[in-house]
Amino acid sequence: MSLPHFSILAGAAALALLAACSKPEPATGPAAAPAAGTQATPCGRVTVANMNWQSAEVLAHVDALILSKGYGCEVELVPGDTVPTLTAMMEKGQPDVAPEAWVNAVREPLDAAVKQGRLHYAANALPEGGIEGLWIPKYLADAHPEIKTIDDALKRPDLFPAPEAKGKGAIYGCPSGWTCQITVGNAFKAWDAKAKGFVLVDPGSAAALDGSIAKAYERQQPWLGYYWGPTSILGRYAMVKLDAGVPHDPAAWENCNAKLECLQPAKNDWARAQVSTVVTDRFKQAGGPAFDYLNKRSWNHQTVNTLMAWMSAQQASGADGARHFLKTQPELWKTWVTPEAAAKLQAQL
Amino acid sequence: MAEPASALRIRQLTQIFGPTPQKFLAAVQRGIGKAELQAAHGHVLALRDVDIDVPMGAIQVVMGLSGSGKSTLIRHINRLIAPTAGQVWVRLDGREQDVLQMDPQTLLRYRREHTAMVFQSFALLPHLSVLDNVAFGLKMRAVPAPRRQQQALQWLARVGLAGDQHSYPHQLSGGMQQRVGLARALCVGAPLLLMDEAFSALDPLIRSEMQELLLALHQETGKTIVFITHDLDEALRLGHRIAILRDGAVVQQGTGEQIVLQPADGYIRSFVKDLNRGRVLRCQSLMHAAAPVAGPSVQFDLVIEEAARLLNAQRLPAANVLDAKGAHLGVIRLEEILTAMLPPAASR
Amino acid sequence: MALLQPDFPALSEETLAALRLHIDGSFRAFTREHGATLERAFEPLRDFLLLIEKLLTQAPWPLVVAVLAALAWAASRSWRIVLGTVLTLLTIGLFGMWQDTMKTVAMIGVATLVALLLGLPIGIAMSRSPRLQAIVNPVLDVMQTLPIFVYLIPVVMLLGIGRVPGLIAVVIYAIPPVIRFTHLGLRLVDKDLLEAAEAFGGSKWQRLRHVQLPLALPTVMAGINQTIMLALAMVVIASMIGVQGLGQPVLRAISNQYFTMGLLNGLAIVGIAIIFDRVSQAYGRRLQQHLPRPRG
Repeated sequence: MSLPHFSILAGAAALALLAACSKPEPATGPAAAPAAGTQATPCGRVTVANMNWQSAEVLAHVDALILSKGYGCEVELVPGDTVPTLTAMMEKGQPDVAPEAWVNAVREPLDAAVKQGRLHYAANALPEGGIEGLWIPKYLADAHPEIKTIDDALKRPDLFPAPEAKGKGAIYGCPSGWTCQITVGNAFKAWDAKAKGFVLVDPGSAAALDGSIAKAYERQQPWLGYYWGPTSILGRYAMVKLDAGVPHDPAAWENCNAKLECLQPAKNDWARAQVSTVVTDRFKQAGGPAFDYLNKRSWNHQTVNTLMAWMSAQQASGADGARHFLKTQPELWKTWVTPEAAAKLQAQL
Repeated sequence: MAEPASALRIRQLTQIFGPTPQKFLAAVQRGIGKAELQAAHGHVLALRDVDIDVPMGAIQVVMGLSGSGKSTLIRHINRLIAPTAGQVWVRLDGREQDVLQMDPQTLLRYRREHTAMVFQSFALLPHLSVLDNVAFGLKMRAVPAPRRQQQALQWLARVGLAGDQHSYPHQLSGGMQQRVGLARALCVGAPLLLMDEAFSALDPLIRSEMQELLLALHQETGKTIVFITHDLDEALRLGHRIAILRDGAVVQQGTGEQIVLQPADGYIRSFVKDLNRGRVLRCQSLMHAAAPVAGPSVQFDLVIEEAARLLNAQRLPAANVLDAKGAHLGVIRLEEILTAMLPPAASR
Repeated sequence: MALLQPDFPALSEETLAALRLHIDGSFRAFTREHGATLERAFEPLRDFLLLIEKLLTQAPWPLVVAVLAALAWAASRSWRIVLGTVLTLLTIGLFGMWQDTMKTVAMIGVATLVALLLGLPIGIAMSRSPRLQAIVNPVLDVMQTLPIFVYLIPVVMLLGIGRVPGLIAVVIYAIPPVIRFTHLGLRLVDKDLLEAAEAFGGSKWQRLRHVQLPLALPTVMAGINQTIMLALAMVVIASMIGVQGLGQPVLRAISNQYFTMGLLNGLAIVGIAIIFDRVSQAYGRRLQQHLPRPRG
């Protein structure tokens, strides 16, 4: 055998030996692998939607940790987004759990599915709901205390110059294709912003919208546009929500403001968005105590914002954020889980 | 007869190719061989100490086999290549200048006005018409379009391509393309013409026509021509003076006759072995002084083959050789002609 | 035995996090200091873009169709291509995509122009300097393979959202073919021809203009054609930072899963791409008609 051939063969043999020699991780602590019969109803396989914004990501990882280490489930995280995930759950029953579903986007078909018993609402992940509206940076609000409502801001197109339309003001709208694009577009019409000298700028994506806020904030430039919370941006940059000046009218909202075809939208405040956990029927039947956990688990804006601020400062991933939360706030999460699960989790942290 | 002034003097031209040629210059001057330089130091000795004088208005042929350095040599004359050592003297602006030391502006002027080149691969620009190709040299001189096109048309007609000015190079045969190349070189009106194996890529019949054309054009214009070839027949036909290169060094220089009659070494001897001497040697080389005999008279510069034909037709043994004015120079014998014409017996 | 473990001994998490935070911080400091200057520097480009867009979107549509058809004719001299152009434009208008298409055409047109103005000189410079080649080639590799959002968001932080950052993104993605093909085309020019041009006293500039560029033209045209195609491929991604045009409806369609809307707008992009492709290739072929066709 020639030298090159021999070397290849020898190398392959060495690698095989090394692979055989390296010891597998020893099982540490009790119940790392579900042992048959030692636990009530092992919950089996669960797919959890890991949606692509920060609060949803960290919540999905918290759920994954608690369900796997506390309840012995075999958890798989699948990437997701509001409309695609909920549609898939409605049509195909996959994934099993959407931890942070902003349900207004698909309210009608979702309610229909719940009525038919295919899907179920678990806890309200954010009991205060999500906040949407038009915001300005805090430094601008401090410099102009007279601007408190949307009407006030719309009186000053000169304060919010549009970079690509000389002489006009800019309102940064909702990214393309999101449901809020309809509501913000209708608000633009309702407040007659065009006549008042404003243009509605479509940022194209959430990343671009975030980028425009970051850019303005770093340079203390003015900014006026749509945003929502709880989010990492609102945790990082202090923003002030403009008062709509009118209360939220649910009927008008349903009939007009939330619909693309609405011809004469009226001024209407954004509702608190309902943010709930949605699960499939299969999981509710098979999950056992795991479902009970999902029925109890919820946290408020302050908790989430603080956590996300920590994650941004550390550039931590959702998994890191989840671990940090479990380590630092046991008094909160222990209220969600059974004592046995709590003990197991505590031991493994 | 008085030697005409030199159009071009090449002195001690040495060219070493490689990363550090200067280092080995001294070694080359001391006599290191090409093979040794290559094997020991990885440098190529392309030219060694070349000395050539080109008389004004002459056709100087530089001859050699492949690798002898002849194409490299001609490119030093217009400094397409710069040497490791040596000079190339030309007469420009009323004084002798070394091409290799010229500043960029002078060099540009020298190339545009004083030299013109014809290439073995024709080197016509494929995207230009024949007319624009011929006018190319004038375009480099910024001659306005109407004038340069008119001149180009004239030269195109002179080389026999009068109707083809709007054709493109790829539509022409090889011979026609080289005529265009020749017209392009002549169009600039430069006194020095450099021809790098200009006819080597043409088939023999065309080559012969082109040689005729060149000789006729040389008669008309009186330019100095440096002509590179590997073909001895071509060299002897065209060249007033011939320099033979081997491995970058000049082995022998002189007229065609000198080379054929007095080959410098075995290398040259083997070259001229199979030559048709009848067409090369002239009567004045074979005649000897003697009183006039009964017989025809021939000019001193007639090739001996013609003299032999004449004597054979008249069945006479000898002829009188006359000079240009008709004065008797000597006598030439048919049997001497025959001896000279037959190649030496092949030695085993 | 650390060498037998499958996990690579990476730098610690703290070190990596500190490194990332440090670089982020430096970049933010940079945007704070120089962002405004950069924005001002790009204002002429922005105004030019807005002007072209206004021309195409505000002019009466028959005029625009006629002008584009005339341009197609001037470049290709082919009735088939002109007819195809007119039919494609009319179909796009019929399906309600006229304004968006005009905005996209404006953006792609200006992006191609910028790519040419920058790319041709760089390609020419590269063909003369091996050192420049060694520097530029890796940069081109990065431009073609680095995921677009990685450099898009810093661009947004520097210049905001809108046409100019979108243009920059499109140019970054689309310029490498022009540079590479120009460089290649120049390098492939027959050395004998360059020698002849030099022998006849052509200066460096004359050789470039009269010999190298004309002979490199077929290859350069292939590069320009590729640049246009890549620019159009970027249309949807550019819309992710707020560039208007056909990309926005496609984005909306993706987010809401409206299949037909995405398909129609996508086909409009394809239609524009085909027009640009055929016209530029026909122009390239016309430029080369005097060169010998390669024989089989």
